[in-house]
Amino acid sequence: MTDNEKNPIPVMELKGVSKEYCSKPSFFSRTSTCVIAMNNINLKIRKGEIFGLVGQSGSGKTTTGRLIVKLENPSKGIIKLNGEPVSDIEGKALKAYRSKVQMIFQDPYQSLNPYLSISETIIEPLIVNKIGDDLSREQKVIETLDVVGLSPGREYYNRYPHQLSGGQRQRVAIARAIVLDPEFIVADEPTSMLDATIAIQLFQLLKQIRKKYNMAFLFITHNLAAAKYLCDRIAVIHNGVIVETGSTNVVIKYPQHPYTKKLIETHPGFNF
Amino acid sequence: MTLLNVENLSVGYKTKKGLLKAVNDVSFSIEQGRSLGFVGESGCGKTTIGMTLMGLLPDNASILQGDIYFNDSNLSNFDDKQWRDFRGREISMIFQAAMNAMNPVIRVDEQIIEAIETHNPEKSKSEINEKVKNLFNLVDIPQDRLKDYPHQYSGGMKQRAIIAMALACNPKLIIADEPTTALDVIVQDQILKEMNKIQKELNTSVVFISHDIAVVADVCEDICVMYGGQIVEKGKREEVFKTPRHPYTKILLESYLSLDSDKNIKVPEIQKAPDLITFTGNCSFAASCNICSKKCKSHTPGWVNMSETHQAFCFEDALNKDNNDR
Repeated sequence: MTDNEKNPIPVMELKGVSKEYCSKPSFFSRTSTCVIAMNNINLKIRKGEIFGLVGQSGSGKTTTGRLIVKLENPSKGIIKLNGEPVSDIEGKALKAYRSKVQMIFQDPYQSLNPYLSISETIIEPLIVNKIGDDLSREQKVIETLDVVGLSPGREYYNRYPHQLSGGQRQRVAIARAIVLDPEFIVADEPTSMLDATIAIQLFQLLKQIRKKYNMAFLFITHNLAAAKYLCDRIAVIHNGVIVETGSTNVVIKYPQHPYTKKLIETHPGFNF
Repeated sequence: MTLLNVENLSVGYKTKKGLLKAVNDVSFSIEQGRSLGFVGESGCGKTTIGMTLMGLLPDNASILQGDIYFNDSNLSNFDDKQWRDFRGREISMIFQAAMNAMNPVIRVDEQIIEAIETHNPEKSKSEINEKVKNLFNLVDIPQDRLKDYPHQYSGGMKQRAIIAMALACNPKLIIADEPTTALDVIVQDQILKEMNKIQKELNTSVVFISHDIAVVADVCEDICVMYGGQIVEKGKREEVFKTPRHPYTKILLESYLSLDSDKNIKVPEIQKAPDLITFTGNCSFAASCNICSKKCKSHTPGWVNMSETHQAFCFEDALNKDNNDR
């Protein structure tokens, strides 16, 4: 019996979550129009699992990520962390939630503050959450830099983002996300801006981190092959609705929904 | 018939730190009606080649050496006026961010008409309108969308309109620089099929630039693999992708995730690409190469022929040893 069977409560659970974006009625158009970005989404992600959310642009996959880190609130439905609903939390509870649920963004050229050195970037979450003192924080930053493969950490400590390549910047973003030992990380297309040789090294890193800390991940991507390489289970999302979900290998080998089939068919391969 | 022939081309950018050699002694040629793909990581010089062929290099860049022959004219000593006449008519380009390549305040059809009017002042209004309608048919945009503004189009439709614009003056060569990078897989598939179809119908030549090897493999008959400003391997796509010989091509193919890849694939070790300002060595890949030897420091590698069309930039004995070891 594995850990997950003993402990049936998933780290992250979405129950009937919907999100609508409505335009405010204005002087010229009195009626407001709504776009449904997510429609009745149900997800359960267990400890130590990498869960892939695959879909094309506009399918609602990034919205799902934003709701999970509570950058936005759902229009309907409940989000639970370790079985506790987090819909109405604010103040201290929200701050605690944010330290447990972190995010890695798509564009490493925009998600790092150019005025902050690497150490300042990674130390910030520790200061905000009042963890440790100056000495232990510095130690923690160097340790984390080593974990994400920027070693020796001392050498990168005082550098600035513009001195790093895209792949190294994304490693800094990963370091910033894991420095608080979160339970759940949302990775929103972390490699879509990077070359294939760099992307695969980052995937390897995410796998190592999962193994080392037993963290759970939501991996958002439009690249089915990347999802196959990294994820244990995937969900295919189309127009805000999850059309197919299951173990990654099964979904890709035996796709049932026409949309999944189409995604697999159009995936560029060496067919000549 | 050879349409374009590039010989020993080097292009440099003047920077504050010194001269950056973005393209270093590159030679290739394209036959009429064929497609040639350039693959490589960001910073390897593939876009610089495209810009050189269009005469669109920025002010701080210049051709250091080499010749570009297009039919009978040598493009490397064209002046601005010659370029203006040539560009769009003989060679046209599809740019990287097609979303932003159109003027947002001018209707789509007018943007295409403008290109035709500039190059064919003798054509009448009705002739031009007819031509634009044909172009829209060719790229599968419905006629009633002609008078729309770019923001009314979806990403894929904008890319189609850009392709129509590139075809407007019946160019002999189209340079497509990452034309599908910003699109998702389903739309990408449609656009690639469209480009293949048009290329066959009009017998146009295409230079296709991309970092995605699978996309290049889908579209191009001939392939050049680039690293650090140099072409490291060239050949027919079957040759380059089924029997890669250069160590960099092998790494590139190994790191590509396909739907059939194994979870336990080997992760390639690749160092940072050399700094092209200070780089003086013979082979730009030497620092990351697993078959690099002392010889690579003292001698310049040469073109090793695998077949009449398939060549790798390396030493023959090193390549043979590598093949035996695997």
